[in-house]
Amino acid sequence: MADSDYEYMEDASDDDYIGDKVSSSTRAHSGAAGGKKRAQEKPRKLQAWETSRSVQKITESIVQEVEDGTRHMSIREKEEERKRKRLRKDTKPFQRGIIRHVVLVLDLSEAMLEKDMRPNRYITMIKYTQEYVREFFEQNPISQMSVLGMHDGLCIRVSELSGNPADHIAAIQGLRFPRDPEDIPKEPKGSPSLQNALELARATLYHTPSHGTREVIIVFGSLLSLDPGDIHQTIKACVRDRIRVSVIGMSARLKICSEIVTKTNAGDESEYVVATDQELLRELLLATTTPPVVRTPQATAIPAESTAALMMMGFPSRVVEDIPTLCACHGILTTGGYTCSRCSAKVCSLPITCPSCQLTLLLSTHLARSYHHLFPLRNWAEVSWKRAREKGSRECIGCLTVFPEIPDEDGESGGNNGRELNGVDRMQADGDDSEEQKASESSRYECRVCESHFCIDCDMFCHMVLHNCPGCLSRLNPASEAQSSRDVEMTG
Amino acid sequence: MNAIDGTDRQIKTEEVPPPSLLAIVLDTNPHAWAHLSSTLPLSSAVSALLVFINAHLASGNANAIAVIASHTHRAAFLYPTPSSQTSKSNANGDVETNGGEKGNAALENPNKYRPFAIVEQEILNNLNSLLTETHELHLTSTPTTLVGGALSLALSYIAKSTLLASPVDTLVSENPLSALADSETMHAQRVPLTSRILIVSVSGDLANQYIPVMNSIFAAQRKRIPIDILKLAGDTVLLQQASDATGGVYVKPERPEGLLQYLMMAFLPDVTARRSLVMPSAGGVDFRAACFCHRKVVDIGYVCSVCLSIFCSPNLPDNLCLTCSSYLSLRSAQTATPALIPRKKKKKKRHGADSATPGGSTPVGSSTPLHG
Ligand SMILES: [Zn+2]
Ligand SMILES: [Zn+2]
Ligand SMILES: [Zn+2]
Ligand SMILES: [Zn+2]
Ligand SMILES: [Zn+2]
Ligand SMILES: [Zn+2]
Repeated sequence: MADSDYEYMEDASDDDYIGDKVSSSTRAHSGAAGGKKRAQEKPRKLQAWETSRSVQKITESIVQEVEDGTRHMSIREKEEERKRKRLRKDTKPFQRGIIRHVVLVLDLSEAMLEKDMRPNRYITMIKYTQEYVREFFEQNPISQMSVLGMHDGLCIRVSELSGNPADHIAAIQGLRFPRDPEDIPKEPKGSPSLQNALELARATLYHTPSHGTREVIIVFGSLLSLDPGDIHQTIKACVRDRIRVSVIGMSARLKICSEIVTKTNAGDESEYVVATDQELLRELLLATTTPPVVRTPQATAIPAESTAALMMMGFPSRVVEDIPTLCACHGILTTGGYTCSRCSAKVCSLPITCPSCQLTLLLSTHLARSYHHLFPLRNWAEVSWKRAREKGSRECIGCLTVFPEIPDEDGESGGNNGRELNGVDRMQADGDDSEEQKASESSRYECRVCESHFCIDCDMFCHMVLHNCPGCLSRLNPASEAQSSRDVEMTG
Repeated sequence: MNAIDGTDRQIKTEEVPPPSLLAIVLDTNPHAWAHLSSTLPLSSAVSALLVFINAHLASGNANAIAVIASHTHRAAFLYPTPSSQTSKSNANGDVETNGGEKGNAALENPNKYRPFAIVEQEILNNLNSLLTETHELHLTSTPTTLVGGALSLALSYIAKSTLLASPVDTLVSENPLSALADSETMHAQRVPLTSRILIVSVSGDLANQYIPVMNSIFAAQRKRIPIDILKLAGDTVLLQQASDATGGVYVKPERPEGLLQYLMMAFLPDVTARRSLVMPSAGGVDFRAACFCHRKVVDIGYVCSVCLSIFCSPNLPDNLCLTCSSYLSLRSAQTATPALIPRKKKKKKRHGADSATPGGSTPVGSSTPLHG
């Protein structure tokens, strides 16, 4: 043992790299000698990895000194690129299923105790799904949802199919913190059963009207499914009932999941995604808040008339009362509410299905909330320095933030030729909306309709929240043009 | 020991009212102001507005203001001045904030707080140039005003200001779920910018901007920005809904001459102050929808499931939607309860799965053994 240590010392003086390796291998079985050896190491020259890093550090600082400006830019661009990645890739107006019926299936099996998400998968999932439910109803106000849970080979119902986000959030919360103090909080245990989950989801969605979508979204942490029967029969039944299943897996892909997803999505496997960390889980969940594209009837072999329908809806007026009266939905005394347009029953909140005559009651604003899915704002184009010079834009139209100065033409053609060419290329690919959204070298983003330039923050805000182009709307003519170009070519 | 520094300081920061950004959308539609000219000319309305702006700026050190004109042919910032605007007015030999004879005179008035003078000067200059560049052509082309654009500008300006005021906040709102992980730590230190929008509206019909205005309303709702409406003339359901949905104040004064009074009493308190005040409310809001075919207000409408267009009668020509021309079946519109006949299904399901399969028999899923 002592010998090996001496050998190591000689090696170290000869060749740092090998020495390092030997040291680690000897250390593994040398034990007590290790401490002494480390003490001897001290005066020795730097280890290979140390020197190599410091050399790298030096070169890095040199590089930074040389092209300080451009390097700084690329960090900014990276940041902007990361932001823009979140924009919807495809802003073509597809026909989307606005009226959605979604069953959210949560995995409550022992696999969710895994700690690769902090504090563990289960708590992470509970946290994110509550937020997800809120966002879902924000985006899909006239949709319905039900939450199920899988554990011990069973599938339990967490909340009934309804359009009230508060119910679902309370129910999901109740898994960990039951409102009834008698109940014990649910801890993940046992194995999940995909078949039981799909069967219960199918039963839940069975009576939903045909003009709405039927979706099952499964958050699936396990790598197994404990099924009582033949799951392939269940998959076939789901396809027959035109249920589409999305699976958000964790840690690894499963053959059976990809089969479920492929079969129920007419051959499209993209609805099966795997979350490798909690950030991704959050993003993948959020991605499902966008209404799904309606597939052409041929693909699903469903008669056309069942996909589109004229729905009778009531638009009730609000009543203000001084004396409390009974509401039809909860049977309690309340002042004020909305009266059903058909039967005059009073309900507390909208949207709701009238408890006495089954008419769908909502406000026209609920419908308007879905318009941006139908008429999406087109993505804005990156602006090259050349284009920026052409337009002479100096500040963001939306927030008046001053853009970085446009570099002189001659200065740029000397030093920055490659970038310039790159920019031109990008402008040529202009018409293509569906490509990945990149960062712009000039920090400007141009609306293709009104040719206004915006900053990255306005770009994000307008596409993620506002769904309007402030440039188009603040001019009379581009506005009308924009309106016509926004006209949808619907297929169906 | 603890009381010596840490705790005291924390309490102090909480006591300071948060900075407040007020974005004013001034409807400058010449048609409507011409109607109003006998009772309240635009000039006196603007001077009332300037007093109000000063009051807002004076009520908090960090308070900020943005003024956007919603004109007939464009919506433009009046304050802060866009830099393109500054250069233009320079070229015209007009006043800039620091130079020019007229501007100097106003700015050097010893009786006026200088920041007020600057804001007033800029707003007046920009309004002047906006009105002088308005041609007859612009006036004849449309009778209405670009409220949708002005609202969008105001919202994106507010969004950016909020972002600059507290960078963490936007990260949260951008990805609403990321906040969850460390929400406890963040709430403690952040002093958010509270913002609100005031629309001084004189124009009537805004139906042509239905979708943009609606999108703006939802954006404001998500960002918790109340939209206050001061309706001096005309009447629009759209703006009523805007203030109702965002929790703003809606005032339609009977005597527009008293503009300043209304502004000071109803609109000066910011979001923080409003929590402890009784604010005027709109009362009954008209929520009924107008059909897309005749613009008739309907109680019961027929909605296309594809494009969500509202029609007043179920008898469409050839059963095609007038907006998106999809073929629409009427079945579900007339059969009221679709959940009636799940008989045949049961057998199939039983066949596929054994007794452990839950939810087979009824839609309610009562067969599921529910235990913890
Ligand atoms: Zn009720
Ligand atoms: Zn009813
Ligand atoms: Zn901007
Ligand atoms: Zn535009
Ligand atoms: Zn009609
Ligand atoms: Zn339609």
